[in-house]
Amino acid sequence: MPATTLVAILVLITAALIVVVVLRPGLVSTPTGKILAFIALFLLPVLCGAMGVSTDMERSTTTAFCLSCHTMDSYGKSLYIDDPNHIPAAHFQNHRVDPEHVCYTCHTDYAMFGTLKVKIGGLRHVYVYYLGTPPAPENIKLYKPFNNANCLHCHSGARSFEEGATHNADPATMVAVKSNKLSCMSSGCHDTVHDIAHLNEVKFWKEPK
Amino acid sequence: MPGIGPMRKRLQAAGILLIAGLLIEAACLLSPRPIAFVIFVSIGGLLMFAGVTLYLFSLVSTRTNH
Repeated sequence: MPATTLVAILVLITAALIVVVVLRPGLVSTPTGKILAFIALFLLPVLCGAMGVSTDMERSTTTAFCLSCHTMDSYGKSLYIDDPNHIPAAHFQNHRVDPEHVCYTCHTDYAMFGTLKVKIGGLRHVYVYYLGTPPAPENIKLYKPFNNANCLHCHSGARSFEEGATHNADPATMVAVKSNKLSCMSSGCHDTVHDIAHLNEVKFWKEPK
Repeated sequence: MPGIGPMRKRLQAAGILLIAGLLIEAACLLSPRPIAFVIFVSIGGLLMFAGVTLYLFSLVSTRTNH
């Protein structure tokens, strides 16, 4: 049973119990009624709130959630570009990251409280989308330069990364990459990411059904 | 409502606030859009917090009256 359904059932049960207390307030004069009121007006609402936040936080990590804003349409399409040099597309199509959580996996902060920081950033997106002037998709920029830690979370320690010829051509390269001084997406490296400006010129992969 | 003491009135008010908050939570659970999460946390959360606080206040104030 999906978590959303479970929370919805709990919300309905809680609401029904609260209605009983509201319509028959005389119940609280008995010990059993006091316990019922405590459960209905305190324990269950707190549980409903906590479960609702937890469910919504989990849902906000899904690809569908990120792409539910019209502004993100082009970014969603860029995941289907049929070219292995397009980093997000190659990761999405080859399931190098979970396709159901593809945006969140690469655009989160793996440090302590990283999820919270990302969600606060997400609130800024919502503010700009509804109350500000959202930029055209091709003009959207990250608030901060992309952190290599997001790539290294998976690639660090992997043979293809650690023993890669280009990564080891200059001993300083690996140190610079691991210390986030040289971006993985530097020019000449993995620099083809969401190429929104050229979506009309590329071929797309059709996902088999 | 005649005959209902202050505590009962507060319980009813707390219940109404909580029901409103829960309804907003239920409505927001149906929508996968980011704005639903913001509404749930801000308006729904505020109503539920107010309801729970009013309920707890009604318990404390009743005990003080005795």
